[in-house]
Amino acid sequence: MDDETREMLHQTAASIFAEGPSDLWEVLKSVGFDKALVPESKGGVGVSWAVACELLAIAGKHAAAVPMAEAMIGHWLVDLAGVEEIELPTLGFSSLSEPVRLTRTGDEWHVGGALVRVPWGSACTHIVFISEGPEAQLIVVARDASGVSITPGHNLAGEPRDDIAFEGVVPHAVVPAPFESNSLQAVAAITRSALMAGAIERALTLTVDYANMRVQFGRPIGKFQAVQQNIAVLATQAAAARAATEAGSEAIDDWIAGENESLMHSVAVASAKIRTGEAAGEAAAIAHQVFGAIGFTEEHELQRFTKRLWSWRDEYGNEAFWAEVLGQRVLADESGKTLWRTLTPAGSALELGATR
Amino acid sequence: MSNLSFPRPRQSEVGERLRAEVREFLDDFDFRGDPHTASVFGGFDPEFSEALGARGWIGMGFPQRYGGGGYGLVERYVVLEELLAARAPITAHSVADRQSGQLLLRFGNERQREEILPRIAAGKSYFCIGMSEPDSGSDLASVRTRATKVDGGWLVSGAKIWTTNAHRSHYMILLCRTSPATQERHAGLSQFLVDMKTPGIVCKPIVNIAGVHDFNEVHLQNAFLPDEALIGVEGEGWKQVTSELAFERSGPERFLSHLGLLEEFVHVLKRQPSAEGAKALGRLVAHLATLRRMSRSVATMISDGQDAALHAALVKDLGTCFEQEIPEILRLALQTEPDPNASDAYRAALAHVVLNAPSSTIRGGTKEVLRSIVAKGLGLR
Ligand SMILES: Cc1cc2nc3c(=O)[nH]c(=O)nc-3n(C[C@H](O)[C@H](O)[C@H](O)COP(=O)(O)OP(=O)(O)OC[C@H]3O[C@@H](n4cnc5c(N)ncnc54)[C@H](O)[C@@H]3O)c2cc1C
Repeated sequence: MDDETREMLHQTAASIFAEGPSDLWEVLKSVGFDKALVPESKGGVGVSWAVACELLAIAGKHAAAVPMAEAMIGHWLVDLAGVEEIELPTLGFSSLSEPVRLTRTGDEWHVGGALVRVPWGSACTHIVFISEGPEAQLIVVARDASGVSITPGHNLAGEPRDDIAFEGVVPHAVVPAPFESNSLQAVAAITRSALMAGAIERALTLTVDYANMRVQFGRPIGKFQAVQQNIAVLATQAAAARAATEAGSEAIDDWIAGENESLMHSVAVASAKIRTGEAAGEAAAIAHQVFGAIGFTEEHELQRFTKRLWSWRDEYGNEAFWAEVLGQRVLADESGKTLWRTLTPAGSALELGATR
Repeated sequence: MSNLSFPRPRQSEVGERLRAEVREFLDDFDFRGDPHTASVFGGFDPEFSEALGARGWIGMGFPQRYGGGGYGLVERYVVLEELLAARAPITAHSVADRQSGQLLLRFGNERQREEILPRIAAGKSYFCIGMSEPDSGSDLASVRTRATKVDGGWLVSGAKIWTTNAHRSHYMILLCRTSPATQERHAGLSQFLVDMKTPGIVCKPIVNIAGVHDFNEVHLQNAFLPDEALIGVEGEGWKQVTSELAFERSGPERFLSHLGLLEEFVHVLKRQPSAEGAKALGRLVAHLATLRRMSRSVATMISDGQDAALHAALVKDLGTCFEQEIPEILRLALQTEPDPNASDAYRAALAHVVLNAPSSTIRGGTKEVLRSIVAKGLGLR
């Protein structure tokens, strides 16, 4: 995709979200953002993951209550499964206690088990997931199929995160999965990084504007060095979140273009979720500090961003989860190379976070 | 509000070829032997500097007529990070390579360039930075060392402090007043190229808390500098200094100084696996990966001629806080006592890093001052 098209997509997204029409989701769908990752030949926009994540960052900047990340991944998976005509797919992951089981009688598949905290599970038309195990399958189930039951739940920001149980459900489609479930978790984690990077940037903007306007002791609080220092730290976190997310999203594109090693092994992906999650916590704390009591009110818009930050950093693996994955991945290297050379292979892609 | 996005770092095929060559060259050395090289820039070793110079890996960005390789900043970056990551002893030439050479190239006169740049590139000419004074630290514009015009040159008097490697450098880049301070605090400052053998210059050692003599007090008593020692334009010193600082602030030195300790930590974890250790390592690697991306992005911006002052300040603040955090995280992840004289490489490296950590957020501009730069860039003031 050329820079011009990319720029145009950005502007379209920025102006739609900024305007915030009452039928926001319909408008986003009408420009194809839900199918951004589906090839153009199949009715999508055909953007890379790097570009899709830039669009998600814009959504995050506006704390938009729409299932944009879920639909993007959902449609991408549904397309990989060769299924068409699906309105709103979302993605799910197995519950540890009741993993999804797939059984086959004759020609018919049956699904049992449970998915946990499915984003927008109650609002979607279909749920897409990958079964665990050696012969992983990519499975599409209609939400209104018989045997599907939903227990609604929410994250801190009130976004639906629903538990879904299956009992003898006949799936809409089953195909051999193109990759393992944990690669899908890595992809999902990057969408959260992208949303967080956008929300952190917005928290920064709100904070700077407020500090320049709120007067105490006869001058704007933004003139006090202690406040400036805090906000400067918030800015460093915003910058780091953005840089980490960009590296992570590019790693997905590299992975798709490359071989089959799990995306979980990508240094850039793990780094993105760790670094952005950490930035989210620090950014939210500083923003609230600068806003004082007013920011602690429900009425104030700051909480729309900070509550999402506090939620998203825990979704698809928090910083501790990914830190252990990444640490083990580094330690598993038996080439005898230094840490540096493990992380920075000579001559290959320049990224420290190259997948391979 | 300014844009905080960092452009995608540029990839360079030439750089990648160089990376492989540098690694091959470094494989002939084992810098792990000396635990004291596990931190900072790995020691002062003129022989090593000359060997690097002979390979063309110093002054890489200088034009060929000054003994340089005519490379871009991106290629230089690759070589530098490989040297730092391997704990190579590059302290002797690193200031000359990173700052002083660039300064002379941009602002120096032809004679200075012809005489000095080829020697820097050969790894034979070392520099120190005479900016700070006893009363001028963060507030650098308040320097009081004074150069008075006399026939054929200048007489300089004053005192510099914290001058790293002044005792083993050939030259100092001196910042001083050439006309009295006025309302415009940044006016009347100039930079000089000072031969350290000039009569009237006395260097007094200062031992740091790690017990090492790196920095010094430098007294200048009526030291005579010839006219051609002036760098650039008289009175424009401030502008020149700030451009010099952009080079100083965003490089890999700002987050790779303690990589050696992380390497030792990995060695230990491979022998004694622990989930907690893996988690600590993973977190630090995530920071490292992100910093590297940001820092390479700034190098790309500078090489494209963009103003990267704000971005460089962000990277320096994040990078040096990261460096300071490393020993704090590791000491909790792996219980062991730091000991500078331990035969165990990890414990010695940890001791060295604990003792040196306070300096990272001070040298090259304190984190408070950098954050003021960021705040200003955000429109707070
Ligand atoms: C290892 C090391 C090597 C060095 N090498 C060199 C060298 O080679 N050449 C050279 O010229 N200098 C060198 N320096 C000096 C370094 O640049 C200064 O130490 C630094 O600029 C801070 O100045 P200061 O130490 O006088 O602290 P001060 O300026 O006195 O500051 C003390 C404290 O007050 C804070 N502070 C001061 N002003 C403000 C403000 N406006 N707002 C908020 N906080 C403020 C500072 O952030 C700091 O925390 C070196 C320093 C170290 C530690």
